[in-house]
Amino acid sequence: MRNYEIMFIVNPNATEEEIDKVNGQVESIVTSGGGKIEKIEKMGKRRLAYDIDKHREGFYVLFVISANGDIIKECERRLRVMDAVIKYITVRTDNEVRRLDKMRNFRQKRAARRGSGSSAAPTQSAEEAMQ
Amino acid sequence: MRSAKEKRPAGQKQYYRRKKVCKFCVERIDTINYKDAKLLSQFVPERAKIMPRRISGVCSHHQRLLNDAIKKARNIALLPFATE
Repeated sequence: MRNYEIMFIVNPNATEEEIDKVNGQVESIVTSGGGKIEKIEKMGKRRLAYDIDKHREGFYVLFVISANGDIIKECERRLRVMDAVIKYITVRTDNEVRRLDKMRNFRQKRAARRGSGSSAAPTQSAEEAMQ
Repeated sequence: MRSAKEKRPAGQKQYYRRKKVCKFCVERIDTINYKDAKLLSQFVPERAKIMPRRISGVCSHHQRLLNDAIKKARNIALLPFATE
């Protein structure tokens, strides 16, 4: 299982129910495929940075899910077909999270080492002076 | 560079260059999110091009993250590809 973020833009003329319908469809694809939904966020209506299909505004929705590639493939296919959705993007986030954890660990370890006053201290203080 | 300042012949224009620092290193920002359009827009000037490192002073590591984030944000219409 991997973590993904799916963000899509719904047609600004769509009603609240239509948006909920799209959300429901995406949700059902994910859950039926064995994935898990972690968060659904309606980011509201925003101005688009450029026109998409002659729309100047769009309703942004963000899904944070954990799923596998097949589910994502199916989601993207369905989003492409849906008329109400004018644009979507899928971003994989688990690599990023892992990298962050690693970095945080490294920092903590370094802070701990500095606190204990080991022999490596002088080089580290020089390092800090550089920053 | 600062020591060379004294050696310069009189009359020649002196110039100081402040050392640029990477905003993300200073603020200890590890990750740059594509959804944060406000932050990213600081690095896309009027023409909506990505600001080069030599001007913004961002370090290579963060510039790479920034590039990725800006490109994702463009894809989902949070940032423009180009402006008139």
